[in-house]
Amino acid sequence: MANRIQFENNNEIGVFSKLTNAYCLAAIGGSENFYSVFEAELAETIPVIHASLAGCRIIGRMCVGNRHGLLVPNSTTDTELQHLRNSLPDSVRLQRVEERLSALGNVIACNDYVALVHPDLDRETEEILADVLKVEVFRQTVASNVLVGSYCILSNQGGLVHPHTSIQDQDELSSLLQVPLVSGTVNRGSEVIAAGMVVNDWIAFCGMDTTSTEISVIESVFKLNEAQPSAITTTMRASLIDRSALVPCCLLSRQLGYKTTTRPYTENYTLKVEIHHTSAYRFYQNCRLDINWSYVAETSDSHG
Amino acid sequence: MPLYNFKKIAVVPSAKDFIDIILSKTQRKTPTVIHKHYKISRIRSFYMRKIKFTQQNFHDRLSQIIQEFPKLDNIHPFYADLMNVLYDKDHFKLGLGQLNQARHLIDNVAKDYLRLLKFGDSLYRCKQLKKAALGRMATIMKRQSPNLEYLEQVRQHLARLPSIDPYTRTIILCGFPNVGKSSFMNKITRAEVDVQPYAFTTKSLYVGHTDFKYLRWQVIDTPGILDHPLTERNVIEMQGVTALAHLRAAILYFLDPSEQCGHSIAEQIKLYNSIKPLFNKKPLLVVCNKSDVLKIDDLPEEKKRELDVFKESNIPVLSMSTLTDEGVAEVKQQACSMLLAFRVENKMQTKKLDGVLNRLHVAVPKARDEKARPAFIPAAATEEPLDEIITDPKPKLERDLELELGDDYMLDLKKNYDLPEEYKYDIIPEFWEGHNIADYIDPEIFEKLQQLEREEELREESGMYAVPKIEMDETLKEVRELAAQIREKKAIMRQEARVVKRPGRPVMPRTTTAKVRERSVSRLKSEMSKLGVELEDKPDAGYKRTRGRSRSLSKPSAKKMRVDSEGRARSMSRLPRDVSGVKDPVIRKKLKKAAHKAISRKVGKKGLKGEGDRFIGTKKPKHLFSGKRGVGKTDRR
Repeated sequence: MANRIQFENNNEIGVFSKLTNAYCLAAIGGSENFYSVFEAELAETIPVIHASLAGCRIIGRMCVGNRHGLLVPNSTTDTELQHLRNSLPDSVRLQRVEERLSALGNVIACNDYVALVHPDLDRETEEILADVLKVEVFRQTVASNVLVGSYCILSNQGGLVHPHTSIQDQDELSSLLQVPLVSGTVNRGSEVIAAGMVVNDWIAFCGMDTTSTEISVIESVFKLNEAQPSAITTTMRASLIDRSALVPCCLLSRQLGYKTTTRPYTENYTLKVEIHHTSAYRFYQNCRLDINWSYVAETSDSHG
Repeated sequence: MPLYNFKKIAVVPSAKDFIDIILSKTQRKTPTVIHKHYKISRIRSFYMRKIKFTQQNFHDRLSQIIQEFPKLDNIHPFYADLMNVLYDKDHFKLGLGQLNQARHLIDNVAKDYLRLLKFGDSLYRCKQLKKAALGRMATIMKRQSPNLEYLEQVRQHLARLPSIDPYTRTIILCGFPNVGKSSFMNKITRAEVDVQPYAFTTKSLYVGHTDFKYLRWQVIDTPGILDHPLTERNVIEMQGVTALAHLRAAILYFLDPSEQCGHSIAEQIKLYNSIKPLFNKKPLLVVCNKSDVLKIDDLPEEKKRELDVFKESNIPVLSMSTLTDEGVAEVKQQACSMLLAFRVENKMQTKKLDGVLNRLHVAVPKARDEKARPAFIPAAATEEPLDEIITDPKPKLERDLELELGDDYMLDLKKNYDLPEEYKYDIIPEFWEGHNIADYIDPEIFEKLQQLEREEELREESGMYAVPKIEMDETLKEVRELAAQIREKKAIMRQEARVVKRPGRPVMPRTTTAKVRERSVSRLKSEMSKLGVELEDKPDAGYKRTRGRSRSLSKPSAKKMRVDSEGRARSMSRLPRDVSGVKDPVIRKKLKKAAHKAISRKVGKKGLKGEGDRFIGTKKPKHLFSGKRGVGKTDRR
């Protein structure tokens, strides 16, 4: 099952939440709407936890975890750590890591068995990762992006990667990860997949902008609702081909005289200029502009 | 968002309004006061400015109109043709062309009169020239009146055109009037087109949208088409024809076998044949509507034979009834899948597809080891909690709580802690006595504590902490006693001193005689001797000679008198400022000279008498202190 949600009018929900097979973390927002969507779907199965890391709401990009454990960056405060420890089940190990690339969610993508990591990640972190999360670790890039955690999302049943990943790369990654992979987008053409959605083995949540085609690709590849990945090449093939007439957004906007967004490509000529209220989000957006965002600087309380 | 948006064209004012707008703007935004005794160059530039300003405003406004209307050569041929049908291309182009002409004329008028103004030799003449210039501009605009009216009508109509995207997946419905095109449209979309039982209910193009296969489909309802030559077609029919001609869409040709529309099947097939060229290279579907009245199978043989035209050219014929909904979904499905297949086939031939091929590929893993990597889905996630929903009400969500409590709502982070109920709300400070609590959290703390205690016990048992007894002899006892007495006395003295120093006690006036100092060697000696300690005058005892505050006692001078430089003894009081900090008289003289020079330079520059000269030229300026004072008006003259 895949649900469409927003965090305070923002579609990048993977930034503000973290979903695994054993727990779900949701950012503390102005209202409980975002949290309650998770709560309604998951609360009976796994704990849904309000969390902040280093006073920031961008928890999804700062931490990495699976059913065995959770790694949080060095900037996490002691109280936050205590709160997480008290809320998480005892079977989940919680570990704070000293890593220069402190946006762990952006540099690591993992499921319960394997992890893809940024090629520059510290050796020590890699060991902790293998030890705490019980995963095999591979240093890889996705479509020549080092931020594997942003451009790829995995569950035990499947994975979605950056839309520019070549077929050869997909096959290679799939053999490493031992899950079926498909390249695709979320949020009407956003290629920052992990920022636009969260998924575990039985449920997925994606941003409100996500089109029905994207949703059906997600459901198929992650085998939600008894869908199978093979559907992508058979029943959905025609829709996908017809949909994917990508128009470079900047070109289009130059012709039409509209403002352009940070998204380089868009479907349906949809151009949106969003208004971001929170400094945390602006911060995040700025970071997204220069794509080499792999760490979060020390942030002040105002981001919370 | 549509690619073509004609809704943003600014309103085109009528000629009269146009002139009023521009002239009042000139009046508002240029200076208005001029007098004949002003310099003639000023008068000229005053009027020049008016003319230039008016001309510029006319120019800008006209340019804006010309710019904003779509250029027929630049837009999609569908829209270009539609506009030709609706507004007549020649008329439209002529209208814009004439506006352009008017703009040129206005520019020229302004140029001429600016030139003439240079020779204006009086205010009156300049004014007449300006008046003439503005008058001529207004006349030029007045002549554009029918043009502007036409363009305004075009603008209003354009803004109301349906926003059709010529590039997207489109289904076009066409056929004779009254065959059920609009009814079908209403069935599959939510466009709510007006449906009436007479011909030409639909007089223009309508757009609706429907969903199929995760995609959005644009459905265009066209007005009915009658069978006559293209040149005789009216505007209403021609709109449908332009849509058929220019949009690459699936076409549903509607037939009415029941002939309730007033046209026989033969006529309808004749129409089909005559507009067939428009369907060239497009997916086409023939729909026999009104199957509730007459099914295709129930048709007489000769009429059935007429329908064979379609079979021969491999065009699928479907029957449906918009009244009973029979077959409607099938028609939609068939049309959509035909168009989709057609579009996909077209795309496959272009090079664009290479970019998306990877998105159609599912990479299936090759097993690299024997390890099983099953999905982990808790049983609770998969089972359908149907019975629970019926029996107990939905659990309350945080959001429900928040709505219920309103402003009183506080987020309770500790509510869901995985701890025993009585521990949940324990308050753990972040810092305690300057230590970060988190640094001391240790799961084995109790074991470690027990271990330490055990070690401690062992040590105690082994007598590590037993204090050895010290033998006390007589002298030691005495020393101890004395020490205790001294300590006590000291404490008392300290307290006394504190009492004396306490704030709030009366302050001694200055005139009182100096108090004799209490702390002195003699007193110390006497006090100590009372206690039995003899303090002799030993040289190494370190007692200083103390003296009382009386002046009579002569004191040896602390320093030798300086006789070398000054020539006279000076008191040891504070030094004058020019002497203090200066090493010797030589330096001092040098400094004095330098200071003098600096001051005299400053003074000389301003023509002052000296450093202290603060000259004020006129103490009481006459204009401020003369004249009559009115009643109660002393401040202004």
